[in-house]
Amino acid sequence: MQSNAALEYDYSLAKKFTFLTILFGFLGMLVGTIIAAQLAFPELNYLLGEYGTFSRLRPIHTNTVIFGFTVSGVFATWFYFGQRVLKVSIAESRFLMVLGNIQFWLYFLGALAATVSLLLGISASKEYAQYEWPFDIVVVLVWVLWGINMMGLIGIRREKALYISVWYYLACFLGIAMLYLFNNMEIPTYFTSGGLGNPLHSVSMYAGTNDALVQWWYGHNAVAFGFTVPIVGMIYYFLPKESGQAIYSYKLSLLSFWGLMFVYLWAGSHHLLWSTVPDWMQTMGSAFSVVLILPSWGSAINMLLTMKGEWNQLTENPLIKFMVLASTFYMLSTIEGPIQAIKSVNAIAHFTDWIPGHVHDGVLGWVAFMIMASIFHMAPRMFKKELYSKKLMEAQFWLQTTAVVLYFTSMWIAGITQGMMWRAVDEYGNLMYSFIDTVTVLHPYYTIRALSGVMYLTGFIMFAYNIYKTMVAGKELSQEPQFRTPMA
Amino acid sequence: MFHWLEKNPFFFASAISIVISFAGLIEIVPNFSKAARPLVDLKPRTVLELAGKEVYKKDNCIACHSQLIRPFKSETDRYGKYSLSGEYAYDRPFLWGSKRTGPDLHRVGNYRTTDWHEAHMKNPSKIVPGSIMPAYKHQFTNVADIETAYAEAVTVRNVFHTPYGPEFKSGKAAWEAHKPKVLADAKKIADEMQDEGVKKMVAEGKVPEIVALIAYLNSLK
Amino acid sequence: MNSLMIKTLGFAALLILATIFVVTKLNIDIFADSVNALTIAGAIAVATITSAVAAKYINQMKTDTTSGKLAEENWDGIGEYENELPSGWAYTFLAVFMWSMWYGLAGYPIWAYSQIGEYNEEVLAYNAKFEETHKNASEETLKEMGESIFLVQCQQCHGATGDGLSGRAQDLTKHYSKEEVLNIIKNGQNALGAFPGGMPAGMASGADAEAIAAYVAGGFKGEKPAAFAACASCHGADGKGTPMVAPSIHGYDIHNVVSKGKKGKIGRMPAFGSMITPVQEKALTAYVQSLAK
Ligand code: HEC
Ligand code: HEC
Ligand code: HEC
Ligand code: HEM
Ligand code: HEM
Ligand SMILES: [Ca+2]
Ligand SMILES: [Ca+2]
Ligand SMILES: [Cu+2]
Repeated sequence: MQSNAALEYDYSLAKKFTFLTILFGFLGMLVGTIIAAQLAFPELNYLLGEYGTFSRLRPIHTNTVIFGFTVSGVFATWFYFGQRVLKVSIAESRFLMVLGNIQFWLYFLGALAATVSLLLGISASKEYAQYEWPFDIVVVLVWVLWGINMMGLIGIRREKALYISVWYYLACFLGIAMLYLFNNMEIPTYFTSGGLGNPLHSVSMYAGTNDALVQWWYGHNAVAFGFTVPIVGMIYYFLPKESGQAIYSYKLSLLSFWGLMFVYLWAGSHHLLWSTVPDWMQTMGSAFSVVLILPSWGSAINMLLTMKGEWNQLTENPLIKFMVLASTFYMLSTIEGPIQAIKSVNAIAHFTDWIPGHVHDGVLGWVAFMIMASIFHMAPRMFKKELYSKKLMEAQFWLQTTAVVLYFTSMWIAGITQGMMWRAVDEYGNLMYSFIDTVTVLHPYYTIRALSGVMYLTGFIMFAYNIYKTMVAGKELSQEPQFRTPMA
Repeated sequence: MFHWLEKNPFFFASAISIVISFAGLIEIVPNFSKAARPLVDLKPRTVLELAGKEVYKKDNCIACHSQLIRPFKSETDRYGKYSLSGEYAYDRPFLWGSKRTGPDLHRVGNYRTTDWHEAHMKNPSKIVPGSIMPAYKHQFTNVADIETAYAEAVTVRNVFHTPYGPEFKSGKAAWEAHKPKVLADAKKIADEMQDEGVKKMVAEGKVPEIVALIAYLNSLK
Repeated sequence: MNSLMIKTLGFAALLILATIFVVTKLNIDIFADSVNALTIAGAIAVATITSAVAAKYINQMKTDTTSGKLAEENWDGIGEYENELPSGWAYTFLAVFMWSMWYGLAGYPIWAYSQIGEYNEEVLAYNAKFEETHKNASEETLKEMGESIFLVQCQQCHGATGDGLSGRAQDLTKHYSKEEVLNIIKNGQNALGAFPGGMPAGMASGADAEAIAAYVAGGFKGEKPAAFAACASCHGADGKGTPMVAPSIHGYDIHNVVSKGKKGKIGRMPAFGSMITPVQEKALTAYVQSLAK
């Protein structure tokens, strides 16, 4: 069956999920910018009645960027490169095509419904697991459909050995499946009370400290298997593909992958330091977090070394810039996290803005940069058009890079300041600051962060516009580019 | 060996599953029964308080408030005794939070009162100048869902043997029998409040969200 | 060092200095608290290590060239070198992993660390020292101390100046008003958690009541009305209260209200119980008493 003729791949599903990535990315970041502004200017809480308060909108931000933007990005890239590295067109199986389309519509409609439910305040109040049980069922169905599709495509592959990116996507599928199921075990109260009350309401299977343990075993690893594992998979495909360089070291890929798989799960209790979980678990979480620097940096270093000697590509191709900077921000957040996981540092960092700072150098500088770079790479190949404007890409790159730097530096200073103010004592040994002092002092930093949100969002709109113009006005390509993406 | 694995997706996926399952098994499972043990004199929340907890979840106060006092002098000076595992034994879900944009609330019932909460929830920055907490005026007119709160009490009693009394039975009749008690609790709170609308609603047998929420906040001790 | 390295490390230094600057301006001593010091050390590590290592590898894009043996396979045109592990990375991984195993299996159990144990020791020692140091504090010191405690614990209700935020809580800048006292004389009061029987209604009336009220509200200045005898039996001749019987009405009686709370006409004052230590209570008394002068 091994033929050398170029295969025609079917990108219809990749395109559909790309549109969703852009839609949810825009919505999620818009809401992010709004909530950032609300902390600087509280009057903005009252634009939408009870539906517009910071507290209602915050989960909409997190869920839209995670389950909307990032997950669609993962689906879009899977339906793109999955075919290519397995050397099989998804259109060769009608079954997989139909399944993929069901997955798409169920996912799209489910995501909209779940967003409305959060707006209405229907929430289980566990972070990143706010959806009530009926929406959980939709999430699980979508995930299972994706799993079947992935396994199916692997089943009919022509390329015997699985490429590194596929390892990571498989791990993403398995990890999230396990975590999501266990953390969302809940009992709908309507059915256990003889039909009383709201059928959407449920109670968690776990209580108190146990619930906390399960939640952060989930929460931490949702980050691991949602914001890290598939994104590493992305860069392993798109960076070498765009640059035409071979991966620096197979051994490094291998050790980083299995190291990450083994170590990541242990670190979850770093979200529960100084809490009521037993000391030994906290210690494990702390220690393994520090170990985690290495497998994380392994992948980043592998990527940077892949670009050895390619300085001119870095300066000339904005796509390479996005990806190299993404690796760097990945390195930043995967050393910052471990340092914050040291108990003494966590005594200050936990509960403060330093944590959202850490979060956003990861998600803005790494996750969103990689997803946008991947779409820039895929677009000309999916639409058979040249990218619309290189100049716009350059401008977007610098705007967003500045935005990320402003975001994390302002939150870093805000967080450390606030953490230290909470602890500070006056000359007599009594608390030096009332709580409200530690709030008002943050105003300038909240303002800077809101500004950075506006900048990043503007960059994202430039990105969306560039892709749109590529589709409608890009120069037709007669032939698919092998490596470097053509751009006008 | 690894090359072999990379050519066998089934074993590859199994290997991943095994490697990632370790940690959960070793770290989470052993503690499960121990951490679930309640303090000796811990009482489960009343139906009104549970309804208030639902308001807390609905308006997502956890976005800004923690309920976990860490064992540092600076925290126990500010908020009171550090939190104990046994105090949370009936909390489903746990509401520790991960961000303190506002102060910790685990023992706020000790040092804030009904009338203060009323004024504060209506307009925080009037009471605490510089506050960035949103005003929750809608809680004064929205009706709390006490029936669902009752359903929750019955559920945790049936499924997890949370010590609610034998009168917490399934079904409409049992609920109708319990409801007056909830309304009486609500009236006690409303009596300490000033808002006329709230008093009127309670007199009509409806519980405004703010009343349930304050009952919940007062129970945090 | 090349320019990229200098720029990134420069940025790291700037961020650290800015952080230290902001914190120091708030009168926080970074080195007095080991947690603060370790946090700053951690922040320095994050900023400098990331800057240096990333700059090192990015620099290699300029100075180095690719080499190595290509593996046979390729995927969608992507090849793979069979290069060895970067040795710095490999040795660090090994070392850190061994450290974590040692720490988890030996170091941590040998220390027998307990966070609650540490807390208890620290706080006990601290409190003993605190009570000892301030046992004989001067009125001035107590007042200053009381002010900062008041701002942390009480201002949310009584306002930063103690004025009670237009009727939210007792206006501590004034003594009881004449109306309040009259009201209490007429109706009695059982609002403080400290006196189970409370004060009976109708202890005086008419002109007597007026005179007493004016005297009490006026802060016990001028001539004491004879009718005050009705009050002195419980509150003492000087109005400073009798233990177990009645509170001081000569200025605000902090002790009862702070430890046991009060449910009065304005609203409910919470009971702080043991959250306010004896010395802190003394300090608060000094401060609150000073407000009404
Ligand atoms: C945008 C962030 C934010 C949200 C959302 C928020 N709060 Fe607050 N909260 C604050 C801040 C800041 C303070 C401190 C200033 C003040 O007292 O207003 C505070 C103070 C409080 C206090 C006083 C605690 C004390 O020790 O003084 C209570 C009680 C409270 N909030 C309850 C709630 C409840 C209940 C909700 C949800 C319905 C909520 N908050 C939502 C920010 C928030
Ligand atoms: C039988 C004893 C008794 C007598 C006589 C008495 N009181 Fe009292 N008084 C009390 C007690 C007990 C309280 C505290 C009541 C409570 O728990 O709120 C009190 C409280 C007060 C208070 C409020 C103090 C506060 O902190 O809230 C004032 C003012 C007061 N008395 C004034 C008077 C005056 C004026 C008279 C004389 C006309 C008088 N009392 C006679 C027992 C007495
Ligand atoms: C949650 C709000 C709240 C807080 C916090 C609070 N108070 Fe009060 N306080 C009140 C209210 C309300 C009253 C008025 C009670 C009444 O109706 O007489 C009051 C009354 C008082 C009185 C007058 C009592 C009397 O004898 O009439 C004093 C003194 C006082 N508070 C001191 C303090 C001090 C000191 C603190 C801090 C350690 C504090 N309060 C914290 C609400 C508060
Ligand atoms: C070596 C890898 C990492 C480690 C050890 C780590 C560690 C930590 C720690 C200690 C916290 C703070 C917990 C707290 O005190 O509240 C945290 C929070 C967080 N991190 Fe990381 N981090 C790592 C990488 C990343 C990456 C790459 C991302 C995203 C791209 C990320 C996203 C988050 C998020 C979203 C939170 C917030 C969780 C919450 O809601 O409280 N982390 N991380
Ligand atoms: C325009 C860009 C963005 C802005 C302005 C923004 C702003 C915010 C704000 C203000 C918060 C709340 C912080 C707090 O409660 O103190 C937040 C939380 C969060 N955001 Fe964003 N965000 C943006 C983009 C993103 C993206 C693209 C992602 C993910 C891909 C993301 C993931 C998260 C997560 C996981 C949290 C929760 C962090 C935590 O709980 O600690 N954000 N964001
Ligand atoms: Ca759920
Ligand atoms: Ca959080
Ligand atoms: Cu984590």
